[in-house]
Amino acid sequence: MHRTRLGIAALSAVAALGLAACGSNEPTTDTSGGSPASGTAGGPAGTLVVDKSFDLKTLDPARLYEPTGLIIARAIYDTLLTFPAGDVTRTEPLIASDMQQSDDAKTYTFTIRDDAKFADGAPVTAKDVVFSLRRVKHVKGSPSFLLDGVSISSPDPKTVVLESETPNAAIPAIAANPALGIVQEKVVRANGGDDSPQAAKKDKAEKFLNTTSAGSGPYELERFSTTTQTSMKANAGYWGEAKPGYKRIIVRNVAAPEQKLNVQRGDSQLALDLSGDQVAGLEKTLQVQTTPSPNVVFLLANASPKVSAVTSKPEFREAMRKAIDYPRFVELGGRGATQAAGIIPSMFIGALDEGDAPEQDADAAKAAVEEGGLAGKAVKLEYPSDLTLNGLSFAPLAQRIQADLEAVGLKIELAPAPVATALESYRAGKEELGLWYWGPDYPDPADYLVFTPGQLVGLRANWQKGADPELEDLAKQAAATIGDERAPLYQDLQRKLNETSPFVPLMQPPSNLVAAKGVEGLTFNPTWTVDLAALRGGG
Amino acid sequence: MAEPSERPGSDGGAASGGGAARRPRRRRPLLRFVGRRLLALVPLGIGITLVSFCLTNLVPGDPAAANLGQRAVDDPAIVAAFREEHGLDKPLPQQYLTYLGDIVRGDLGESQQSRRPVVDDLAEYVPATLELAFAAILISLVLGVGLGVLAAVRRDGPIDQGLRVFSLVGVSMPVFWLALVAFYVFFYKLGWLPGTGRLDPTAVAPPAVTGFETIDSLLAGDLATFWSALAHLVLPAGVLAAFTVGLLVRFVRSAVLEVLEQDYVRTARAKGLPTRTILRVHVLRAASVPIVTVVGLVFGSLLSGTVLVETIFSWPGIGQYAFRSATTLDLPAIMGVSLFVAIVYVAVNLAVDVLYGFLDPRIRVA
Repeated sequence: MHRTRLGIAALSAVAALGLAACGSNEPTTDTSGGSPASGTAGGPAGTLVVDKSFDLKTLDPARLYEPTGLIIARAIYDTLLTFPAGDVTRTEPLIASDMQQSDDAKTYTFTIRDDAKFADGAPVTAKDVVFSLRRVKHVKGSPSFLLDGVSISSPDPKTVVLESETPNAAIPAIAANPALGIVQEKVVRANGGDDSPQAAKKDKAEKFLNTTSAGSGPYELERFSTTTQTSMKANAGYWGEAKPGYKRIIVRNVAAPEQKLNVQRGDSQLALDLSGDQVAGLEKTLQVQTTPSPNVVFLLANASPKVSAVTSKPEFREAMRKAIDYPRFVELGGRGATQAAGIIPSMFIGALDEGDAPEQDADAAKAAVEEGGLAGKAVKLEYPSDLTLNGLSFAPLAQRIQADLEAVGLKIELAPAPVATALESYRAGKEELGLWYWGPDYPDPADYLVFTPGQLVGLRANWQKGADPELEDLAKQAAATIGDERAPLYQDLQRKLNETSPFVPLMQPPSNLVAAKGVEGLTFNPTWTVDLAALRGGG
Repeated sequence: MAEPSERPGSDGGAASGGGAARRPRRRRPLLRFVGRRLLALVPLGIGITLVSFCLTNLVPGDPAAANLGQRAVDDPAIVAAFREEHGLDKPLPQQYLTYLGDIVRGDLGESQQSRRPVVDDLAEYVPATLELAFAAILISLVLGVGLGVLAAVRRDGPIDQGLRVFSLVGVSMPVFWLALVAFYVFFYKLGWLPGTGRLDPTAVAPPAVTGFETIDSLLAGDLATFWSALAHLVLPAGVLAAFTVGLLVRFVRSAVLEVLEQDYVRTARAKGLPTRTILRVHVLRAASVPIVTVVGLVFGSLLSGTVLVETIFSWPGIGQYAFRSATTLDLPAIMGVSLFVAIVYVAVNLAVDVLYGFLDPRIRVA
């Protein structure tokens, strides 16, 4: 009797496991642009499943600044301006039908269009815009710095004015950032929202915005999770011309190696974190879009003799710049990686041409080492050991730098540390030699003025104000210039940085978007990675 | 079987001493034993939080730098708001005492990375990990005990030799490697099982009752979701169980062999009892104590294994949460996870001790 029961129990367990295996939704091998539940021709397709390694914290636009948050917010919240697909050198209207800028780059006047509507049908007004932007500024969240020194007002019901204390030619690019997404004032206020200067303490709307979206974008938030998956449903009454391409979009938290297998099996339709090595050979069955990412890997040599008697010498800067075998270094980035000609990425206004990129000259490097008496003097090269950038680990990059610098007579000791620890030393300006990257806060060359003396990253190399007055004047001039004159100024600035600064721009690793063949409209954008709302499930 | 609550447990028996039966307050030694062990959680919890608090603060890293963007972290107003929001602007002893005070009120603080109470995070992630761990234990018990008995009965035969290799492989295979291979073979190549997550992406999660997707979907009467949840559980739980199965096969084999040579087994054989009855009634019962010991011991390694398995299978459990918390210096979350793990260890040890009493009357009497 007992034996029979035991046997039945064991059999049931085995059967359950077997059935689980057979009864599972077997991954399809089709590469259509959506789930098997795709819709009819002309209408939205079924579900788009996107795999992303999450860094998601919140979906409150005023508090989000992580790549995953920006991707999702782009589909939910409209902004005053936007970028045409992947081109970040110019903006185009979205909630604002028009923008006028003053010649001194301080005043920006936006005309609010009258046909934009929130998901509940209420019109988007200048009041909503002012509330949204003031809230971003005052909650003191991660994106608040975007509006530092900027006042927001609305002189009439159709106009919003942004006024910057200092010349700020980056305002149009900032206005296109999903963190400046327009929320519905009435709804957000009713749920604890506040835009007053005390909003850092008073605003309690984050929890609400993590459950319900209050935007006018093509999609609405359906379910939010920072660890599993966040889903959006199409905004049926979207006011824009381009209607949502899918009924649902699900963004799942999946590590990169599994993303590859998922998209290959048709379990997902889009993978966002694959490295150059991982995408090799995928073109046969999938779309692979490889573009240089806007992240620039660079080398920093501390300019302070107190921190390093070696790296602070001009001869060291000269030697490191000339010692590096750039093409071999770029090879480490895999297919699609490019040498960074300057500190401003290749797709931004003011980027340098390839011809301006630093080149190796081992003899000149050796001469500099000899002249400075640097041979054999140990220098610590610090880098974040647990950070991966576009699928790249920093360890092999640091090893290559070490090999190149030692080949000209320098002595380099590798000093890896977890990113949270390494950041401390980097930010405090205590690193002798550091290998880091800069990802743009907004796609405008003004974001790179931080590499000049006395500015944010300049100070991390102890490159103090007054270290290069000519360069600093040029930086001031660039910041206050608008229009076509900006590009040559920023190019000049970078050529000078390449000659004298304690920074060496090295590489832009590739950014890979891998999608099912049937997904249409795939374009990489440096701010929001991919515009999910622009995707269509064709095939 | 006598009720265990009327008999002392292993520790309780030793503590009760003579004349216990005369005093009513000593009538429930098991309860006292359990109560004492639970009380021990208080100093243990304080110790755990103190150690993790000190260690996390000793690490040369700034939670603000780890959690805010590169520009935001250089804006003093934003950093000040972040520090104030998370209580980081207070002196360290005050931070710790405040934390302890909050724990008493059931408040473990707010996670810096998920921006919500750690208690809510744990309530979401712990059931996911427990579902995985229990499934792994279940698989381990079924396979480990079954195969261990088989190996003992077929001692030194080809099956025993084969199982010896099998258990060696199970014990020595790195979990992350096995997880990657299993994912590749069963999901990608064969397509037999789903890959990442707890449910199909389009499946609607059942209303949370236990937090176990399998049980909750059954409670909701949603069979499709149940199958989805069960199918998603097979690969990660199987991978997690590999080590335990390997270990159990070895332990059960040797325990059973030892019992098989006992006089009472020989007597049972001489009396003509069928082998299966001997195994079930005498051998397995006697071998169950070492089995429980091993399962209790490996529960800890199971929990540490979840960090890797959960990452590879995108399983939203405590392992992933712990990893993300550690890399972002999310102190409240790190301490919350440490406390949870401490409680699990105490609970498992307690359960093992109580189970001893059930399984072996000699321990109860001792």
